Amino acid sequence: MKTPLLGSFESSGNGHHTLGPLQHIDLPMRRYRDTDEVDYVIVGCGSAGGVLLQRLSRAGFRVVALEAGPFWNTERDWVSDESGSHKLYWEDLRITGGTDPLAFGANNSGKGVGGGSVHWAAFTPRFHPSDFEVYTRDGLGADWPITYETLRPYYEQLELEMPVAGPAYFPWGHPHGYPYGPHPMGGVGNVLIKGCSSLGIPVSIGGPVAILSGSRANRPHCIYRGYCIQGCKVGAKASTLITHVPDAIANGGEVREYSMAYRIQLGKEGRVTGVHYFDRDGAAWFQRAKAVIVSGYAIETPRLLLNSACPGHEKGLANSSDTVGRYLMAQAGNVVLGRFDQPVRMYKAPPAHALTEEFYETDPRNDFVRGFAIQTVGPLPIAFGKQMVSAKRAWGWGLRREMMDYNHWASLGLLGEILPWPDNRVTLSEERDQFGIRVPHISFSLHDNDHKLIKAAKNKTMEVMHAAGATEVIQEARYAHLVGAARMGNDPRTSVVDKFGRTHDVANLFLCDGSILPTQGSANPGLTIQALAARTADYLIAQGDTIFKNDKRDMTEPAMRQDLAPPDTWGHGVPRVK
Amino acid sequence: MSKQSQHGKRRQSSEVDTSLLPRDAQTGEAIMPSEQPGYYPGYSTLSQQAFWDKTTRDLVNDRVQNVPRIRYFSPESVRFWRAVFDHILPQTDRIADRRIPIIERVDERLFHKRGVGYRYEKMPPDREAYQLAEIAINEESQARYSGKFVDLPSLQQDLVLKAIHDGKPLAAEPIWKRMSIGRFWLLLLQDAIEAYYSHPWAWDEIGFGGPAYPRAYTRLERGEPEPWEVEEQRYQWEAPRYAVSDITESTHHLHTESRQNEFIPDESQ
Repeated sequence: MKTPLLGSFESSGNGHHTLGPLQHIDLPMRRYRDTDEVDYVIVGCGSAGGVLLQRLSRAGFRVVALEAGPFWNTERDWVSDESGSHKLYWEDLRITGGTDPLAFGANNSGKGVGGGSVHWAAFTPRFHPSDFEVYTRDGLGADWPITYETLRPYYEQLELEMPVAGPAYFPWGHPHGYPYGPHPMGGVGNVLIKGCSSLGIPVSIGGPVAILSGSRANRPHCIYRGYCIQGCKVGAKASTLITHVPDAIANGGEVREYSMAYRIQLGKEGRVTGVHYFDRDGAAWFQRAKAVIVSGYAIETPRLLLNSACPGHEKGLANSSDTVGRYLMAQAGNVVLGRFDQPVRMYKAPPAHALTEEFYETDPRNDFVRGFAIQTVGPLPIAFGKQMVSAKRAWGWGLRREMMDYNHWASLGLLGEILPWPDNRVTLSEERDQFGIRVPHISFSLHDNDHKLIKAAKNKTMEVMHAAGATEVIQEARYAHLVGAARMGNDPRTSVVDKFGRTHDVANLFLCDGSILPTQGSANPGLTIQALAARTADYLIAQGDTIFKNDKRDMTEPAMRQDLAPPDTWGHGVPRVK
Repeated sequence: MSKQSQHGKRRQSSEVDTSLLPRDAQTGEAIMPSEQPGYYPGYSTLSQQAFWDKTTRDLVNDRVQNVPRIRYFSPESVRFWRAVFDHILPQTDRIADRRIPIIERVDERLFHKRGVGYRYEKMPPDREAYQLAEIAINEESQARYSGKFVDLPSLQQDLVLKAIHDGKPLAAEPIWKRMSIGRFWLLLLQDAIEAYYSHPWAWDEIGFGGPAYPRAYTRLERGEPEPWEVEEQRYQWEAPRYAVSDITESTHHLHTESRQNEFIPDESQ
């Protein structure tokens, strides 16, 4: 068949704002005037911001989310193409240094409504109970001001809201099951299963991944096209753009696209009064608000606080602890590539569809604390080519030759826990971006425990690749995800926010995103970020007007508001194993 | 859509210098330039475009049909970088009208000052990096073979670039002190790869399935082709006689982003 029976496929939507082929937003959405004083301004409409906007709007608050990037119309804006997807990534200038400088952009930073959840691979393992007490257990890193049990109901809730596909029994950390069935295996998943099984290592097959294995409401099932991190046109992969933002807008929330926040305004009483931002033409605006939530992720959140320095907050807003920007973390994300005699065609299936967490916990036999996971990854040709340059030093005819073998390679990614260190840090560079805002400088260096952990993780992943039958095994050092840089804690001298995300220094200023994580485990952080956002939302809703009126800090845990979840999520699908 | 060329058809050309062509590994004979090198004869992603969504179809066709005009590089720099990219990703095995434009895509990126979201603190901005590298590579050519890069024979050009690849230049020390030679090499390769492997003719060459929305991939296991993909048909080939780039290393000691990479010096000093 040369063409579809009814002619070439055209885009659906008919002029609507489409989110996947079936879901529409019927604009116009509510638009506040800049003279209006809204209840909450959220800076950044990504993983956390999207959930916060949805919950707070549904609870009846007047909320605006300022988003630096566009409000995607997925049928119009997104493509099945690596090179055509750069607009999904935060590609504004950042300066990267330290002994082990991090890559940003496509590697870990999203832009546009949905933020990182648009380009994530949607792997959604939970953190383990041990992650919340790393310092107590191992004497390194930090403890969280909350426990796994505090977050557990929110994990269960968000796994339904996304929802997550995966095995009925997930054996690591706190064992549990997933509401949607596991995905079928692609070539790389089979490599992981074969390698792990022959070494006696348990493996989780077909998830956990927030990609629909069956259709649900106005979202189709996965079609295994492989372009997950280029944005899921199918609408099968969860992003807050399609899971939470539509419900937020239906409930009166506003998403203001192309709005780049550059300064939070502090008022006379030591409380914030709103956020200054630039629109896409570079015009400056000010949105007044009774309270502000910053959800800009681990680089932009500290950058905004540092750029908001003002009298009384000379080191940066909410930075009396000198902790803003510090304890930045990325996970070791070394990619191990194996060549097989038989074709693999790793571009089919989601990059993320199988993993093992067998090496996640501290093992006293190791010369390091904490651990790592091994996951499938499926680079498309451009990403794969860059790996061949790094891992094999290929160029010229050698590069052409390696690329002709693309279909014979499989790749596994390790995810290793790098501990929080004060010198891994976001500061401000003297350089300025296109708006004239000072750009962030990031310094990142591995420490002794990190080096030892990466070495062990690398060796184990290569062992798995060999055990799967690879005839050649190579690897590339890289880093995945970004968290920390404005961590939560009980002590205002060593942390930026309290256990609900409220800054210790300013009573109506909250941070809610990956930047507040004290440690990161070796689980992908997206689910935890959204679970924390739902919990912070419950706290804000329970506090009602108190936050707008006085500085009183109520540290009572809020009741969980399952009734505020997007429609048709709560009560559908059941976590099968407790 | 435009007429599809016939695939796999070899064309003789009296203008071709056979010393620059890949050779049949068994006979040692030059393999004449073709419309589609690689192990997937007859495979065409573009032939499947009616099954793609419209936005993707428009984007990919635009990439094939509309090569951006040069707006940033000077004519002299265009000549220089075109010669460099002819070695970074050589295309003498492709007939002239099936070569994939690289310099034009790099020019477009630099014209728009489009970055990738970060810059290493020991690297200048990308435009400056390309300017400095042009000077440095010409100085390297001068030091090794007493001529400008573009005037050197192909093998000597390859050897000049190999010195940069190896991180062992003889010349331009002040420039390579200002700019990490290893990171510049990665920048250059990344730009070349982004241009070449974003092109559907390259997808055909390597057997990549390409866009699959809304149709889907259905055969996920054992590397089996979709009904519209083709089976691999391997052949053994060697790089041209006058080329030194067909050497790769199979090692797990290399790192791109870390001081553990022996080719990228510790930047903390």
